[in-house]
Amino acid sequence: MTDYKIACTGLWKVFGATPERIAASITPEMTRTEVLEQMGHVLAVRDVSFDVAEGEIFCVMGLSGSGKSTLIRCLSRLIEPTRGKIVVNGEDVTQMNETRLRELRRTTMSMVFQRFGLFSHRRVIDNIAYGLEVQGVPKEKRLGKAREVLELVELHGWENHYPHELSGGMQQRVGLARALAVNPEVLLCDERFSALDPLIRRDMQNELIRLQRNLQKTIVFSTHDFLEAIKLGDRIAIMKDGEIVQVGTPERIVAHPVNDYVREFTKDVPRVKVLTARSVMKPVHTKSELIGRAIAIDTTLEALIPLTVDSDEGVPIIDSDNNLVGIVDRKSVMLALADEASGMLPAGG
Amino acid sequence: MAKAIAVPANSAPSLRRYLPALLVALALFLILYNVFAQPLPEFPEAWNLHLREPLDAFKKWVVGNRANSPAFVYFFNPIANATDWAITLAESFLLWLPWPVLVVGTFLLGNKVSGLRLALLTSLCLLFMGFVGLWDASMQTLALVIAAVTISLLVGIPLGIWMSRSGRGEAVLRPILDGMQTMPAFVYLIPVVLFFGIGVVPAVIAAVIYAVPPVVRLTNLGLRRVSPEVIEAAEAFGSTPRQTLVKVQVPQALPSIMTGVNQTIMMALSIVVIASLVGAGGLGDVVLKSLRRLDVGTALEGGLAIVAMAILLDRLSYAISQINYTSIERHQGFRLFPPGWGDHAWVRTVERWLAAIYHTVGRLEAGLAARLGRALPWLQASLAKHAYWVLSVIVLVLLTVLALAAGWVDFPKTWNLSIAEPVGMVVKWMQRNLYEIGDTGLGTGPMSDFISIYILAPLRVLFEQVIPWEALILLVAALGLWLSGWGLALACILSMLFIGLLGMWEPAVDTFTQVLVAVCATVLIGVPLGVWAARKPAVERILRPILDFLQTIPTFVYLVPVIMLFNLGRVRVSSPRCCMRCHRRCV
Repeated sequence: MTDYKIACTGLWKVFGATPERIAASITPEMTRTEVLEQMGHVLAVRDVSFDVAEGEIFCVMGLSGSGKSTLIRCLSRLIEPTRGKIVVNGEDVTQMNETRLRELRRTTMSMVFQRFGLFSHRRVIDNIAYGLEVQGVPKEKRLGKAREVLELVELHGWENHYPHELSGGMQQRVGLARALAVNPEVLLCDERFSALDPLIRRDMQNELIRLQRNLQKTIVFSTHDFLEAIKLGDRIAIMKDGEIVQVGTPERIVAHPVNDYVREFTKDVPRVKVLTARSVMKPVHTKSELIGRAIAIDTTLEALIPLTVDSDEGVPIIDSDNNLVGIVDRKSVMLALADEASGMLPAGG
Repeated sequence: MAKAIAVPANSAPSLRRYLPALLVALALFLILYNVFAQPLPEFPEAWNLHLREPLDAFKKWVVGNRANSPAFVYFFNPIANATDWAITLAESFLLWLPWPVLVVGTFLLGNKVSGLRLALLTSLCLLFMGFVGLWDASMQTLALVIAAVTISLLVGIPLGIWMSRSGRGEAVLRPILDGMQTMPAFVYLIPVVLFFGIGVVPAVIAAVIYAVPPVVRLTNLGLRRVSPEVIEAAEAFGSTPRQTLVKVQVPQALPSIMTGVNQTIMMALSIVVIASLVGAGGLGDVVLKSLRRLDVGTALEGGLAIVAMAILLDRLSYAISQINYTSIERHQGFRLFPPGWGDHAWVRTVERWLAAIYHTVGRLEAGLAARLGRALPWLQASLAKHAYWVLSVIVLVLLTVLALAAGWVDFPKTWNLSIAEPVGMVVKWMQRNLYEIGDTGLGTGPMSDFISIYILAPLRVLFEQVIPWEALILLVAALGLWLSGWGLALACILSMLFIGLLGMWEPAVDTFTQVLVAVCATVLIGVPLGVWAARKPAVERILRPILDFLQTIPTFVYLVPVIMLFNLGRVRVSSPRCCMRCHRRCV
């Protein structure tokens, strides 16, 4: 039951005068445009279900208007979901009363905003300490904790400045520090990096990976950038018109896109960095003598290529229990790469 | 009449197109009939509503029942008592406070919120009030303003918060605020006097009614303009609605709220001055009494003291409202001159000296704060954060003790730089020399006569004898119909009928002619000036501070120089605004 940190089932969000009635009466064949034209309601999130495991970075990827920001806000009920269940730590968020919900937001789920949402009238340190302040933590204690987090995001020396005196990247770090200060179990990030320059954005992505290595939070992250989703996400949910089109690991989505919409995103992906032996290998089921020279199943194509060049019979692949599970040879590598060029997945690979 | 036949009776659009012309034709007919055939009667006296009797009766009832009617015992009297208490408190404090403390306090405040320039300007404004011998009257006015503003904020900010959070609140309050702001200040005074008698209490209550709309509006506006993401962020961290309001929304809206406070202060001042008509005392009373005696010099002193008060309150509250969240301390406080003056050697010398003084005082301040902090550990935290304010308060308290001991409470009478006498002489000179310049036939006297005889008098004849009242109503209705539509036309007709029914047709027409002339004169002067200013930046630079000044100073003040130059008579209504009381006395 509690394998998952967050379990979201049948979540709907409809904006309009009578959202509950509309949500119940929408048939599966109706498109979002039809709902808007015939019923005058905006269908933002449509029957979405997914699970997020503890310590996982879960990316919600979609173009603007796909409903990803609404979905993220529904998780902590900043936007009230119309139907569905959201279970966090085994407790249904949709059934919580005001007090319990506030408790959840104060201690369990923190949020980082796209445009930072910083309090311009508070100094950096007081911004970071805000979450603790509303919990009633005494001043000395909360400022001490805020200083710790300030070190963590490398903003030492900026505590007494005001947000507008900082660069965009630094403001983003203040936003992250503010969310981390309350030591939450879950971080919700709404398009964290889309307001930043590409270079700063890459720095911040690397920083998130670095922080995550130490902190091991459960992170739900929304983005419109598929490459960012691939880079950061343990798993990705691709949204279109309020629905989840596909959920899976980056590799799974790149190797097996469910439809043309998803395939379109995967075209720009550097496959050698995403695909691993898992999706390239030819499976075998017999024990072998080649264990000594074997390669782990999650080795990327990039690392496999030089190995296959030197080996005529192929490289043996083992799983985490050291069992031989497959072979990667030049042909399988080339097929996987050719797939990148043609955009077509060969049947039976 | 031929036109009337041309109108298709069932076609509304063309009816609206032809009706104005029809009304004008009808009006012309009435005018011609009135002039050539037989004079039409004036607005019938029999239609007079005679509101005076019931109103007088009501007033009698109010006077008789003030002590025992529940409306008074439980509503009006407690308000009056609380207001009175607030005024008395403020006034007795200001009069008890030795004058040097107020001057130094203003200087310190002005210096901190803006810099030396504001500090000097505001403390000189205060000193001016003392030098012309109006310290006590000024303190009375200041006390009224403080009481009115305090009550306005206590009422206005919560109303503004409510308005921003509730759609119904906004729907209810918006039309009321619109009404309160469009009505002229005078209108408040009459009902307020009815319920609260005369004196300081109705003055403050009228000021509160007049001054409360801007702070309500700007609180509402400021709160509504807070970025939704910032509010969302507050909620996402589990803030209660109250925490969101107090810790995020109100601080975020503070610049807007402070702008509202600034406007409230200025509006309260304008009413408090006018309220001398209901016996509020203070500077307005000085002006009013000297105008009655035709003592132009003293009136001008009072007027200038009001201007000084307006500048003081406006600039200080404006500087305070310019909240700038920054971690970088400004070091430009000593700048006394505009930036462009830096080229002059003497400016540089003066600023170098001032900078040196500021530097020394700053070091002294830091040293004193450190030493005091060691001596008084309980003060250490606030000293570290707000050394300037803590030290300022200490200085002021010491100064108060010293001044009380030395007996420097009242502003010294001998420091009188009264301008009443020289102004009196100037007025005499001007009346003698400008009224009629030599034998040229020019001067303010002839100008005054010219406007009276050749502009105002004919207009009066036109409106009172040539155009009968029915025709005037028809003409205005036609204009309203042509400009806007049925709504405006109907409103015009009803308002004009109402004026007639009140028995005020004749004075209203009189006022109307004067407004007409004043507007024409204003347009003739203002439009060319505006065009000139738009084309020549130099002209705009000169004009802007003058216009700012003219817009901030209270109505009364205009009257004084105008009376000086144009003597008495109807012509002075061309001054921008005029109070009816004076007008009726002067006619």
